[in-house]
Amino acid sequence: MQPILSIQNLSIEYRARRGRVRAIRNVSFDVQRGEAVALIGESGSGKTTLGLGIVQLLPGTARVTQGRAIYRRSRDGAPSEIDTLQLKGRALREFRWKECAMVFQSALNALNPVLRISDQFADTAQAHGYLQGRALHARAEELLKLVRLDPDRVWRSFPHELSGGMRQRVLIALSLLLEPQLLILDEPTTALDILTQRNIMDVLKDLRHKLDFSLLFISHDLALAAELTDRVATVYAGKIVELASVETTFKEPAHPYTIGLINAVPTLKGTKEDLSSIPGSPPDLVEMPAGCKFHPRCPLVESRCKEEEPELVEVKPGHQTACWNWRSAREALQTHKVQG
Amino acid sequence: MATATLSSLSRPGLLIWLEKITNNFLLQRIVRALLTIWIVTTITFFVIRAMPGNAVDILIQELTAAGVSPDDARNQAAALLNINLDAPAHEQYIEYVGNVLRADLGNSYKSRGLKVSEMIAQVLPWTLFSVGLSLLITFMLGIMLGAIMAYKRDTWIDHLLSNLAATLDAVSPYLIGLLIILLLGVLWKIVPITEMRGALSPGIQPGFSLEFFADVLNHVKILLLVYVLSSVGSWMLIMKSSTITTLGEDYVTVARARGLPDLRILTAYVGRNATLPLFTRLAISVGFAVGGSLLLESLFTYRGVGFLLARAIAERDYPVMQGVFLVITMAVVFANLFADFLYGWLDPRIRIAGGGN
Repeated sequence: MQPILSIQNLSIEYRARRGRVRAIRNVSFDVQRGEAVALIGESGSGKTTLGLGIVQLLPGTARVTQGRAIYRRSRDGAPSEIDTLQLKGRALREFRWKECAMVFQSALNALNPVLRISDQFADTAQAHGYLQGRALHARAEELLKLVRLDPDRVWRSFPHELSGGMRQRVLIALSLLLEPQLLILDEPTTALDILTQRNIMDVLKDLRHKLDFSLLFISHDLALAAELTDRVATVYAGKIVELASVETTFKEPAHPYTIGLINAVPTLKGTKEDLSSIPGSPPDLVEMPAGCKFHPRCPLVESRCKEEEPELVEVKPGHQTACWNWRSAREALQTHKVQG
Repeated sequence: MATATLSSLSRPGLLIWLEKITNNFLLQRIVRALLTIWIVTTITFFVIRAMPGNAVDILIQELTAAGVSPDDARNQAAALLNINLDAPAHEQYIEYVGNVLRADLGNSYKSRGLKVSEMIAQVLPWTLFSVGLSLLITFMLGIMLGAIMAYKRDTWIDHLLSNLAATLDAVSPYLIGLLIILLLGVLWKIVPITEMRGALSPGIQPGFSLEFFADVLNHVKILLLVYVLSSVGSWMLIMKSSTITTLGEDYVTVARARGLPDLRILTAYVGRNATLPLFTRLAISVGFAVGGSLLLESLFTYRGVGFLLARAIAERDYPVMQGVFLVITMAVVFANLFADFLYGWLDPRIRIAGGGN
């Protein structure tokens, strides 16, 4: 079966006073039907830009310089391919939310403060010619229960009457209203406290079991990604540096950056000394270093790394990485994970 | 919950009742409004009496100059003006407040025998009409143009409108009025300015007739034009900045991601939220416009509150001035009160704070 979403050689830039910010550089990956893929990276690595690009919600200063985002719709009979980057007007409006819904990281302000939750559901339904009135209420009730909210309490409320976690769950319920085939979750738990975050993650895991959608999960948190997704794409400086299944990513990471990220995750048994953070900070996307963009922070840096940028190569089927030293990287760096 | 019920049970009934009243948002605001009016009235009363060269002295001087003895002049003046000159200021004040409460604002010094309340009642409707209509036009025009400027930010149309708005905002209304008279009335002779004095042509009877409405509009149209030109600029600029802020809000981006039609986003998501702060300003403007009509109404001899006040000041007609100040104060205070309620009604977040849900 063909993947539902294929990102092909996508590059996105921002025009800034200082020059061009190359937020996404020649990125390609697929999301299979029913699969959940995580995009993992530090803030400023370009992962949100990718999500916004797919639904064409980039700010005015951004420009897609190359590439395609092929979405394969399967509803209404014959499957058809569309390049979401080329959609315009009505077709774009219909693609958004009905085919691909995106839940943003800023949950607290994602709902119009002057409209009741019921009105926001009705707005969305009406825009896509979906159910109205009683039928809509029944469907919304079902969804609100699915995200573990009390429909009677929430339905007639204004957003400010709900807590941050409730608002995020309302938005998740709203995102499922039109049964989208693809769901993009951009840091859905970032602004929330740890217990609420736990709760939202449980809701999401539950939803993945019960409903049938593909998921693109954008996060900086590797542990959350591991819980929810099947495959992990590690993004560094606007490029995918490693792409592998969750299990492979954790057990056999090949890129020094991914290894660094995993070592920065606390484990139950580990002591504080086992934790290491990656030295340095993400590169300036306007003036990036030559060669491998990770080389100024990489413990295994060689002269070649400073001159040539590695492309993704296959480590084994289904596992790709972009590093000149991938063969020796794990052994050289994985000293902390012995206890695990 | 349980502790709150317990503590309120243990308190005497009257106290709970009093607490309920003091916690009532509506009542709080009304009491505050009345207090403001009382303070301003008091200040006006004493300030006017503290000013040198009052009308009574002038009247006495006139009578003395005409050959009346000083004592007789005093008595005549007191009788004419119906005031007790020998009473100390605080007694005059108490009497004045008592009269105001009975809606008796005293008699005019100059137009003898005329009641101030009647004089104001005659001109107030015209001011409220012209100010209200012009504010409505300005508000709608400003919102539309401001939203266009924000949506078309950094295009030629935004630059053009922004410059125009900033210029209009900077020029004084009086100057715009003079310019209009000069251009439309004197140079191009498009509008017969002299025929437009007053709020109505002589001989026109108020009533539900086409003739009446046409005449009213004919007299008010140039005044309206000047009001709109002189205030639309600031509305445009405020609406532009408010809309730009709202366009950057996450819920607008999410509304786009939800695939809502542009028109729905413009009205219910951007427009509704961007105009929220402007409604408060609108209500407050009504209050200030009543007082601010002084110069323009004089310029166009439009017989409204401002015209009456200008004349009263020129003639040192204190009871009229006092009365007009009271009306202006009340207009501002009640407009503010109205703005509070309006905002609470429009914005559900305030509704909760006001306890009115």
